Amino acid sequence: MRLQHFWAWLSLAIGMVYFFLPLIATFEFSLRMRRGVYSFDAYRVVLADPNFQATFGYSVAMALLTIVMGVVLVVPTAYWVRLKLPRWRPVIEFITLLPLVIPAIVIVFGYIRLYNTSSMLPLTGTATGTNFLLLVGYTVLALPYMYRAVDTGLRAIDIATLTEAAQSLGAGWTTILVRVILPNVLVAVLSGAFLTFAIVIGEFTMAALLNRPAFGPYLQVLGANRAYEPAALAVIAFGITWACMGLIQLVTRLQKHTSARR
Amino acid sequence: MALTAGPGGRTARSWAWVGIMPFLAFALLFLILPTMQIVVGAFRNPEGAFTLQNIANLFTPAILGSFWISIRISFASAFLGCVIGFGVAWAVTLGELPRWLRGPVMTFSGVASNFAGVPLAFAFLATLGRVGLVTVLLRDWFGINLFALGFNLLSFWGLTLTYLFFQIPLMILIITPALDGLKREWREAAEILGASPFQYWRMVALPILWPTLLGTLALLFANAFGAVATAYALTGSSLTIVPILLFAQIRGDVLGDPHLGYALAFGMIVVTGVGNALYIWMRTRAERWVK
Amino acid sequence: MNRLKSATALGGLVLAAAGALPAFAQDQALIDAAKAEGTVTTVALPHDWCNYGGVIEGFKATYGLEVNELNPDAGSADELEAIRANKDNKGPQAPDVIDVGYSFGPTAQKEGLLQPYKVSTWDTIPDDIKDPDGHWYGDYYGVMAFMVNDDLVPEPPADWSDLLKPEYAGSVALSGDPKASNQAISAVHAAGLAAGAEPGKAAAEAGLKFFADLNKAGNFVPVTGKAGTLAQGATPIVVYWDYNALTGRDTLKGNPPVTVVVPKSGVVAGVYVQAISAFAPHPSAAKLWMEYLYSDEGQLKWLEGYCHPIRFNDLADRGVIPQALLDKLPPPEAYKAAVFPTLEQQEAMSAEIKSNWDGVVGVSVPN
Repeated sequence: MRLQHFWAWLSLAIGMVYFFLPLIATFEFSLRMRRGVYSFDAYRVVLADPNFQATFGYSVAMALLTIVMGVVLVVPTAYWVRLKLPRWRPVIEFITLLPLVIPAIVIVFGYIRLYNTSSMLPLTGTATGTNFLLLVGYTVLALPYMYRAVDTGLRAIDIATLTEAAQSLGAGWTTILVRVILPNVLVAVLSGAFLTFAIVIGEFTMAALLNRPAFGPYLQVLGANRAYEPAALAVIAFGITWACMGLIQLVTRLQKHTSARR
Repeated sequence: MALTAGPGGRTARSWAWVGIMPFLAFALLFLILPTMQIVVGAFRNPEGAFTLQNIANLFTPAILGSFWISIRISFASAFLGCVIGFGVAWAVTLGELPRWLRGPVMTFSGVASNFAGVPLAFAFLATLGRVGLVTVLLRDWFGINLFALGFNLLSFWGLTLTYLFFQIPLMILIITPALDGLKREWREAAEILGASPFQYWRMVALPILWPTLLGTLALLFANAFGAVATAYALTGSSLTIVPILLFAQIRGDVLGDPHLGYALAFGMIVVTGVGNALYIWMRTRAERWVK
Repeated sequence: MNRLKSATALGGLVLAAAGALPAFAQDQALIDAAKAEGTVTTVALPHDWCNYGGVIEGFKATYGLEVNELNPDAGSADELEAIRANKDNKGPQAPDVIDVGYSFGPTAQKEGLLQPYKVSTWDTIPDDIKDPDGHWYGDYYGVMAFMVNDDLVPEPPADWSDLLKPEYAGSVALSGDPKASNQAISAVHAAGLAAGAEPGKAAAEAGLKFFADLNKAGNFVPVTGKAGTLAQGATPIVVYWDYNALTGRDTLKGNPPVTVVVPKSGVVAGVYVQAISAFAPHPSAAKLWMEYLYSDEGQLKWLEGYCHPIRFNDLADRGVIPQALLDKLPPPEAYKAAVFPTLEQQEAMSAEIKSNWDGVVGVSVPN
């Protein structure tokens, strides 16, 4: 397997070069704020802002909630479609591709039109209602990725057999989903969760137009028409998001350990 | 699966659609209805009357050309993203690299998959632009003048190269669970029967993965097709892809024709639908031979 | 341009005759009504644009009201769309006031999106940049200028024709998409005016030809130019509104050093207009906001952001502009030659540039 080893390392190396070079270039540029000398001035400016923590915390909370809503919405649906309604798969898949080509700005203006204070569902009138609307908007944005990831995971396991076995042991649908299917597609769900997390942290349009204190609009306000701060912001956002995802992965791995011991 | 006969002899299968009601209701309320404005607006003129003129206006050489460029860039970045992403995902899952590498690669892919728009365009300008880090390095250390060799970041392939930054991680994240699903027993069985690694891949693994690969290709295609922020920041006035045209009509601070914008958006939905249909057709054929 | 000057001169005389005025006519009823509402919602106001950061702080400090800032990234079309979409919405997502490109004022008015209001300093606003019924009114203007990175461009260009010289190879960029951005379109228009054409469609055609030549000479960089790309080196020369260029220069604090050049010929002025939404959730606060913007204090705050407020001539005639502020501005001779396109000329040149940019300049797709 020596040759395989070589190809594996080569693929990884090429990948690392391609991905790290632009990040290094951005980082290098962000260090140039003080003329002629490398310094962390741009970072100091960015991190000194009190709003940083507030907006980042808000976005992290929204991201986690979006992941939960996405999983609750997508996993049962993908499972059910695979199991019972295979003819619906093309329709569902087309629907999940739509958020990729419909501009987010059209979606959010649609929400404002449909769910404003004079409509049947006045969501925009209260902070909670608007937060809910934003949560739903984020879920819609993450839908393509979550669905595809979960669908891939379901494909790799034999859900028909698993379902039959669980039913013959007397399990109801909820038990099947939560205790049989979900643990088996956890890797796929995790992929979807990462994608969702990154989307929500960086999302700007919906949060800005719905007027919520999220991280995306904050980044935009700070970086507009400046040179070095946006580069510093990009690096910081990248690093922090990466760290958060690492945390999510750690938590999931700990869960697996505890459940395996059972 | 217990089949209970309901009144009039209806079987349980007819209740199956209830299972996807939550999803359909969600999609209707929060995706389809809010964006009906696109479909309605595409067929309306500024006075509010029904018209097919907006759709007809799509068939000008400039707009058709932009659709064609969009499709080409989306396909190029999707295809390359698939191939390269597959290579990296394979390396990390089945390629016998150290276990601990997988976590960071997955989380990095998560972040990189959404690193797009102005920060990404700027990162690539700072790397491969006229006075980018790599350009200057190659010139000063190796005497290679990248631009004299014909390389130009602000071109079709330059934009594709930039798009790959979020396409490859997306592929890695989606295909890794599928690669995990390739049972070791199959590999071992193939080896016992005397198959070389190449034969194993060609005759066992790839056919199994084929529907998933196609599905991810479709996702990557749509992902690139709708991507506007990166292209805008990088080649604001040169590469006229459809989303840029769209935004020029319904956003911006010069009077545009919003109805043409909606027609463009409608066109994008149609192209996505056609692409999806193609993918479904190919997948159905592939799935005939796989359970 | 003469009509502009005589109208403001007359207005200035009237005001001077009326005696020394306070910042603006203190209408206590309006202030109380606004305070009862508590907030004004703005949209598309980046803090670095015309010193809106300072304007907003000044307003908050003077009246103790909140300013709810929506989407600073919005373009003029987005602002109108925000009004349309929030017609029935009284929540915090609905904008009260907008600041849009010149041609958007009449369009919004025709669609019934605006409510009329005449500020107390109404008469000092030039007639040809306001709606006679008060639906929209000019707020500030600037002229097209070049923002030049001194580190990479030792000899800044003095005029449009200089840009074609070989020493500026791969250097010149627009600040946006000429199919969508008012700033970019005005740049093309200005290039045409420099070539000697009449404002409007003729200058648009000449401008397109200029950029085609610029591209053929290899001097044009089809990247959206910003402070970041200027500093990094991808776009050493950016064609910007003078106020953006000057603010950018200050923000960069000499790293890199920047020269802002108002070209000798082809000086185009771009006007923006203010308006109050017809469906504003906080109409009194919106009116108070307008009063503040058009008071001497508000107008001078815009001037601090290098934007020429619309009442500039009136302020100058009354001598209320601090000399220090005047010194920071580019020399006034540059502004004397400024051309203010009329609404018809604006629309004609926009349409021309939007539809023909790809065909004429044809920055082709090498693959």
